Amino acid sequence: MILSGWEAVFFWVFSIAAIFAALLTVMARNTIHSALFLISSLVSVAALFIILQAEFLAGVQILVYVGGVMVLFLFVIMLVNVGEEERGQEEIFNRSRQVTTSVIFCGLLVAGLIYALNVGYDGLQKRDAATIAKTSADRQTADQNLNASATGASKITKGTEWVGNGLYRFGSLPFEVASVLLLVAIIGSVMLARTLKQEAAVDDVAPDVLEKQAIDDPELLEMKATE
Amino acid sequence: MHIFLLKLFTPFFSLLFQEPAQGRMALVWERAQHPDLSKFLIIGALLFIIGVAGVLTRRNIIVIFMSIELILNAANLNFLAMSRYLQETGSVNAVAGQIFAVFVIVVAAAEAAIGLGIVIALYRNKETIWVDEIDILKW
Amino acid sequence: MYRYIWLVPLLPLAGAAINGLLGRKLRFSERLVGGIAVGSIALAFLITLASVYSYAFGSNAIWPNVYVTSQDGASYSWIPGGAVRFTEGGHARSVASAQEEARKQFAAMTPEQVAQHEAVPVLRTINEQEGASLLDVEWSYQLDALSSIFMLVVTGVGLCIFVFATGYMHGEAGFYRFFAYMGLFMFSMLVLVMGSNFLMMFVGWEGVGLCSYLLIGYYFDRQEAANASRKAFITNRVGDFGFALAIFGVIATFGTTQYTDVFAQAANFPLEPLGQWGILSWIALGLFIGACGKSAQLPLHVWLPDAMAGPTPVSALIHAATMVTAGLYMLTRTNVIFQHSQTMMTVVAVVGAATALFAATIGITQNDIKKVLAYSTVSQLGFMFMACGVGAFAIGIFHVMTHAFFKALMFLGAGSVIHGMHHEQDMRRMGGLRKYMPYTYLTFLAGWLAICGIIPFSGFWSKDEILWSAASTRFVPVGWIVWIVGTIAATCTAFYMTRLMALTFWGKERFLDNHHEHSAGHEVHDKDHETPTHHAHIPHESPASMWVPLAVLAVLATIGGFVGISPAFTGGHHVGGRMNIVNFLDPIIWNPTTRYFGTHEIVDSFGKRPELVERHATASVLTTEPVHAEPPPPYGHEGFNLAHAIDSFIHNHTLTEWVFINISLLVAGFGMFLGWLFYVKNPRLPDIWAARLRPLYQASYHKYWVDEFFGWAVTRRTMDAARAVFAFDSKVVDGAVNGSAGITRFSSRVTGLTDRYLVDGLVNAIAAFIIRLMSPLLRAAQTGFTQNYALVMVLGLVLAVILFFGADITKAFRGVFAIGF
Repeated sequence: MILSGWEAVFFWVFSIAAIFAALLTVMARNTIHSALFLISSLVSVAALFIILQAEFLAGVQILVYVGGVMVLFLFVIMLVNVGEEERGQEEIFNRSRQVTTSVIFCGLLVAGLIYALNVGYDGLQKRDAATIAKTSADRQTADQNLNASATGASKITKGTEWVGNGLYRFGSLPFEVASVLLLVAIIGSVMLARTLKQEAAVDDVAPDVLEKQAIDDPELLEMKATE
Repeated sequence: MHIFLLKLFTPFFSLLFQEPAQGRMALVWERAQHPDLSKFLIIGALLFIIGVAGVLTRRNIIVIFMSIELILNAANLNFLAMSRYLQETGSVNAVAGQIFAVFVIVVAAAEAAIGLGIVIALYRNKETIWVDEIDILKW
Repeated sequence: MYRYIWLVPLLPLAGAAINGLLGRKLRFSERLVGGIAVGSIALAFLITLASVYSYAFGSNAIWPNVYVTSQDGASYSWIPGGAVRFTEGGHARSVASAQEEARKQFAAMTPEQVAQHEAVPVLRTINEQEGASLLDVEWSYQLDALSSIFMLVVTGVGLCIFVFATGYMHGEAGFYRFFAYMGLFMFSMLVLVMGSNFLMMFVGWEGVGLCSYLLIGYYFDRQEAANASRKAFITNRVGDFGFALAIFGVIATFGTTQYTDVFAQAANFPLEPLGQWGILSWIALGLFIGACGKSAQLPLHVWLPDAMAGPTPVSALIHAATMVTAGLYMLTRTNVIFQHSQTMMTVVAVVGAATALFAATIGITQNDIKKVLAYSTVSQLGFMFMACGVGAFAIGIFHVMTHAFFKALMFLGAGSVIHGMHHEQDMRRMGGLRKYMPYTYLTFLAGWLAICGIIPFSGFWSKDEILWSAASTRFVPVGWIVWIVGTIAATCTAFYMTRLMALTFWGKERFLDNHHEHSAGHEVHDKDHETPTHHAHIPHESPASMWVPLAVLAVLATIGGFVGISPAFTGGHHVGGRMNIVNFLDPIIWNPTTRYFGTHEIVDSFGKRPELVERHATASVLTTEPVHAEPPPPYGHEGFNLAHAIDSFIHNHTLTEWVFINISLLVAGFGMFLGWLFYVKNPRLPDIWAARLRPLYQASYHKYWVDEFFGWAVTRRTMDAARAVFAFDSKVVDGAVNGSAGITRFSSRVTGLTDRYLVDGLVNAIAAFIIRLMSPLLRAAQTGFTQNYALVMVLGLVLAVILFFGADITKAFRGVFAIGF
């Protein structure tokens, strides 16, 4: 899948953007800025997905990841952030010992990973170069036989079709399990984030817990457990 | 010990200090013009490492969660790059990478929901989002 | 019929068992107990009579052969072969040497000889000798001349005494116990005399000792009875020790305990004349010590007078007729062994003579009627030993028989007197009883005449033969001394027996005088004992159950001596064939000159079977003298022989014997005359002479202070030794034990301190030190800071990768370096 031409240019643009945004996510002082940088990093990665001809995933990434998860993040940031760090009263990084050690080892990881990836790719190439060369002609023919899109600027690739086929046939069990997982996550998050008053309103809470918290909120005492 | 370090860094030193046939910059330009799978993987690795660094170094718990999202994203990138490569080699399960990436996103979403729910509950209890203040498990 | 002799010991045992085990539980009446006891003895006596008759006089009589019950095939192996193996002693050595010989012979045989089966007898010898090194003891009864006489005496006299005891012990609380013990005693005595080997004799020996203890201590609530029974048993045991050693010697030397085998082997041993002391002398010494203990010879006689604390039938049966004669039985049974050792024969004769005189002189001064009879018994036993010592074993047994008759008679008579006098035993308070107790008096008269040795009563025949044998013996050189001592003892016997008669039956009735303090130390009849402050008792005759046995015994005492009429009266032979006791016992007496059992020519007076003829004419290797000539002295030399001296003076053998007969009759008469003089004619004489011979009188009255001497020398020294040992035990042994306990306590304390300070201190120090050292370090890992944990995870990941892919990594690095970029 050697890219060339404008694909290569866009690849470099979006990858540099992703990395840059990620760096800033980690180093931003303001939490909102952190979130926004993360959003931009995710969008860049979505663009990279499109370069990789995984359009469906790119869409899912934007819709779900950015549109759902990051929005949730933003809500929570709004809920809990008190802004001390942007006022400069709080440190954003940990104690130096932890940070130093982390940076050193991350550096080691970087070096190792890059080297390993290079070597691994060389090995992959050696293994698969013949196969790729053999099938390149067929692939090109298949690419040209694809239907054209509505605007005619590109072809409608079959990637999504393949994903759908695979997901709902071979991956139907994980699919169902994933839905159960999401159900559990919903229930769990609802339960986790309830206040005591909300809990006492709909469910039984131990009286001594209510009394302990009633110091802050006198209304709790009225919500005794029903017989 | 010093011999070990020498051996560890030799390939990089050799890369730096040796003269390739064409010239170093030409080689790099050549390689940059035609990014292939390895570049994608390297990008993914870099994102991953940045995410790890963020998890280990930041004090704000929300930022730590966002770094975890970065890590998962990097993993997704990796999956999809390999999936694309395997399509070219003609592997039957090439699309499994994309399917798996779907599930990764699902799990990331669920995990974010739960994790942030925990953060809310923790904030209500401890009134803080600084992880070094949440040290109840300290001896 | 003689095959049923095994019933004879069994019947008294059964009677004793029934009486003893059931008599009290089922509350037998006196009649039942007495009936069972007397019935068992009577039945045993009848079987004995029939057996002895069929053995010796019947149509299929096997006398003079010995009958052992195991001959019929079924033998009961008591100690089986294989339980004991010989390793030491003469028998073991002979076995080993025989085996060696046979083995050498076998080794020297050539193969042709082996092929000719000549090796078979040699191999058989080796095997037999192997078997001969194992001890095999069986439980079987032997019926021969000696045991038949003793069986008859024991069961016959025992029957009379049992009948007497049913009357005498009437009203006693432990009636059943008495007859149980008596039955047990009869069983033990019969085993003793009927046993076919030394171990059975030893079993019976111990059994009669036990029963003697039980019966003397019958009145166990009386201190003196308990003391006397203990004394009897312990003194017996001293003798038993020697006996046991002798049995060990027999086993080691001969390899067997069966009489038939032992005596057959012993006959081939060399003689040991005076001065030589060999293995047979040792054995004889041990046997003699046993006989001394049982038959109350001189140093071990002290128990017999004290044994009079038991009931009178016990004294009659055990201490007159049966148990004390067990020593004589043993002596005669082993006469082979004794006759091999001239030294032991001398010892036996001398001890017997000394005892006879010793006891007779004591009997002169005693006042208790039973004590007089007791010392008389000791004296008469001395006579029997004298007889055996000078080689006249058959005469000794003859005297056993006659003594059983008249002594049992006199004891029972004394019992009758005591019973009639309401348990008065002191003769000084009796007198003139012949008017009140005629039957007792008449029967006692017969016994008195017998013991004094008046012709034709039984005692005369046997005592006279003894004295003649002592004078004419060729076995021991001191025969003449023995004769003198015996004659003096016979004089004393006549004197004190006459004294007894005079004090008890003649003269005036002293019991009518004044008061009665009942003298201490006699049986108390708990039924009709009348209160002390009462008028004198009139003695009464005893019931029929008591005087009928007296009559039977009196008859026997009168005519019983005719089975042993002296050859002086019958022309130099012992007439009567097998009826004559000397002839009857001949087959078991060994002759050291001819080295055969039995020597005398026996003329058959029943015309049934040809008898043995004198053997030394045909088989003697020593001489070719004509028959009836004087045989040479058995041990090669002899000392001064009184009979020969007188014979050389008179030159008539028969007349010499008549001289000695007359001398013994004269001394008997002299003793009787003195007794009459002192106690009938002139009753003041005893006191006068007692005062004149004061030291002698005191010595005699105090029994020569033998008991006091034993008390000082033996009893007190033993108790001193016991005290010393006890002190040693309590101080040294217990001190050591307590000391070790103290050491244990001390060491435990040390260990405790070590444990507490050293071990625990070490543990505390080291463990505490380590904990104090490590805990801050380890605590530091628990920061509670989640990112620290995440960092550690990352580090772990890196480490795992390095370790896992380390080889690949280094290879890759080297490859890169080699290729070069």
